[in-house]
Amino acid sequence: MKTVLEARQVSKIFGGLVAVNKVDLVVPEGSIASIIGPNGAGKTTLFNCISGFYTPELGDVLFNGRKIQGMLTDKVAAMGIARTYQNIRLFKSMTAVENVMVGFEPHLKHGWITAMIKTPGYVKEQKHIVNEASRLLHYVGLAGLGDNLALNLPYGAQRRLEIARALANQPKLLLLDEPTAGMNPQETDVMKDFIRQIRDDLGITIILIEHDMRVVMNISDQISVLDYGQKIAEGNPKEIQANPRVIEAYLGPGAAALSEKYRREKTHDA
Amino acid sequence: MNKQSIQKSAASGMVFGIIVIFFALIGFTVVISGLIQKALGQSLGVGQMPSTSSFLIFLGLLGIWNGWRASRQDKHETLNTKKVLGRSTIAGLVAGVLVMVYALIVGVLDNRGINLRTYLSQLSSESVRFFLFNQTIVVGILIHVFYSTLMAVVGGFLALASERSRERVKSTRESIQKWSQDHWLGKLQGNPYVSYVLMGVVLLLLVLLPRTWGAYWNYVMGTVGIYVLLGLGLNIIVGFSGQLVLGYVAFFAIGAYTFALTTSPEPHNLVWNFWIALGVAVLAAALSGILIGLPIMRLRGDYLAIVTLGFGEIIRILLRSDILKDFTMGPRGVRNIAGPTLFGRSFTTDVDFMYLIILAVLLSIFLARRWQESSIGRAWLAISQDETVAQATGVNTQKYKLLALSLGAAFAGLGGALFASRNQFTGPEDHALMVSINVLVLVIVGGMGSIPGVILGAFTLKGLPEILREVENYRLLVFGALLVVMMIIRPEGLWPARRPKLEVPVGQDNEPVHLPATVGGEK
Repeated sequence: MKTVLEARQVSKIFGGLVAVNKVDLVVPEGSIASIIGPNGAGKTTLFNCISGFYTPELGDVLFNGRKIQGMLTDKVAAMGIARTYQNIRLFKSMTAVENVMVGFEPHLKHGWITAMIKTPGYVKEQKHIVNEASRLLHYVGLAGLGDNLALNLPYGAQRRLEIARALANQPKLLLLDEPTAGMNPQETDVMKDFIRQIRDDLGITIILIEHDMRVVMNISDQISVLDYGQKIAEGNPKEIQANPRVIEAYLGPGAAALSEKYRREKTHDA
Repeated sequence: MNKQSIQKSAASGMVFGIIVIFFALIGFTVVISGLIQKALGQSLGVGQMPSTSSFLIFLGLLGIWNGWRASRQDKHETLNTKKVLGRSTIAGLVAGVLVMVYALIVGVLDNRGINLRTYLSQLSSESVRFFLFNQTIVVGILIHVFYSTLMAVVGGFLALASERSRERVKSTRESIQKWSQDHWLGKLQGNPYVSYVLMGVVLLLLVLLPRTWGAYWNYVMGTVGIYVLLGLGLNIIVGFSGQLVLGYVAFFAIGAYTFALTTSPEPHNLVWNFWIALGVAVLAAALSGILIGLPIMRLRGDYLAIVTLGFGEIIRILLRSDILKDFTMGPRGVRNIAGPTLFGRSFTTDVDFMYLIILAVLLSIFLARRWQESSIGRAWLAISQDETVAQATGVNTQKYKLLALSLGAAFAGLGGALFASRNQFTGPEDHALMVSINVLVLVIVGGMGSIPGVILGAFTLKGLPEILREVENYRLLVFGALLVVMMIIRPEGLWPARRPKLEVPVGQDNEPVHLPATVGGEK
């Protein structure tokens, strides 16, 4: 399978703190890869290195075989990496449709002169992106809410709107930073199915940061575990669940043995 | 009456007492009484003190307001006579006593023959006696206390009455609204021809007014027009793209000087055609926008404000300095700047100029609107709301910020050239920091990012002071008061920007929408 994203020995250092320490990551095309780990493990920092917010001090980030570290974020977005944010960051005083329309920016051909004269080509392009943006809103389940200001939308709708805006970028790789944060179990289930649907419908590779283990274990093809900036484990959901280092990272030293004992008792009972 | 209520009433009284004292100290009491007297149709000679009765009317209005405010402390409680009487009496007494103390001090000082004007230029012996109603000190201060209390009580009962009648006022208003909706307003609102007729009326006024209202109003409205141009330009930079630029006057100066130097016989004897020079001035300003923009692209917020502030000052100081004296005539400024010509005819009367400015304003409004509604406008707005995210969403922020700077600068260049041409003179002092501040204030007062707001702001801040010539000395006071009041009542500006409705219906709500593999479709 083709590799979409590859991180080689990526390190990001803030002063004396090594936030991401020599992390390797290989994400095959069309997969859903999750990054998990305790708070402060460096997950979002790794995301920021991939999407161009930070330039890693060491290592390479390759997107479809091209080095992208050090590129400006708008260039990265134009290449096909789109993202959402842990704390929702919409353009609050713009309507939902407008938020999505901004997402089409890297693919627009017309500039300020044609906008001034309103050439037929420009008008056609504008009509096209209004249509596409409305379609995207419908796709994420926000049909009919498009003319509301983003800040007036309910929380779940804002999360979906962020995804619609990212999809407008026409990405090949979508980075979702805690898409189910703050949602109740029902909403979480819907979002989980929706993420899978995006991958299946649109063929977009997805990297996910997520704390909800039911989501992670359910939809991930591959899981990477970070702790103190280092990758401590990688594999499919089954392997990760059984990995003692992961359990200790989450629950503290000694927890792995306890958990093993608990599991054995359970199987014994059965 | 509880303690909290008493405290609130006393606080209200303090505020109003202090306001009266402040007005008296700056001589505003005399001016406003004069205005009231004129409004009542009585004549008032220059340098003559207004009548005591007009002063009493002014004080009475303030007192009523005081009592009203003090009585209505909580929206949700129902008032009764006892509450109102207590509160308004306290408020009026406190205000009256404060004013009394002030009147006593100035009255005694004045009586002893101390010339207070040495310290406060408005406190002439006459105005002190005026403040005491032309009575002796004791009688004067007693009138103040008594009158303040009385008027506050009146205000309190007015508040009570208004609350009692609120239900009836509301129902009456609703029935009037309903009637007008049914009979004519409702029909008018749905009719597309109404807007055409309105536009026709505005155009007709724009054509007719400059011919009829005389040179003075043409001058005033011409200034307003130039400020509309500047406002529209700065609105692109601050309102649309969200970059706080404080040195906007620099672009104005560059436009004015480019125009001046290319059309004046002195110092370079380049007597270019008016329209070519105008175009060159606009281009020069736009280019300077890019040149300044390049090094400061990385700065945001207050850093950007300070750097551009410095830039505006540098331009002015350079124009004044001896270094450029041979090139720009130094502090003397450039004279004999050409007026407009059309097909070889001179075109320089005040009416012609007014038309020229109106044309420039209409063109600018048209352009600014086009850009605001386009994807460029959306990209600017996105940058102004969250620059980091806008960039990560694929907006080329550097390009768009530069574009905003240079387009905004071009508007200033146009304004500067017209300004220089109309005055036939431009000097460094035409381009002081105050111009930047004025333009920024009119953009904020009007409503950031709103084109009608900018026009309204320009009329308010440049036209209103001309209309209120009477209080010209207190222009800055009114200016400041207006800003404070506006920020409290309408923090988004007089005419805030609205977002357009764009969404188009797609399919039925339960019908799935099939997106192709490339989401955006054609590419």
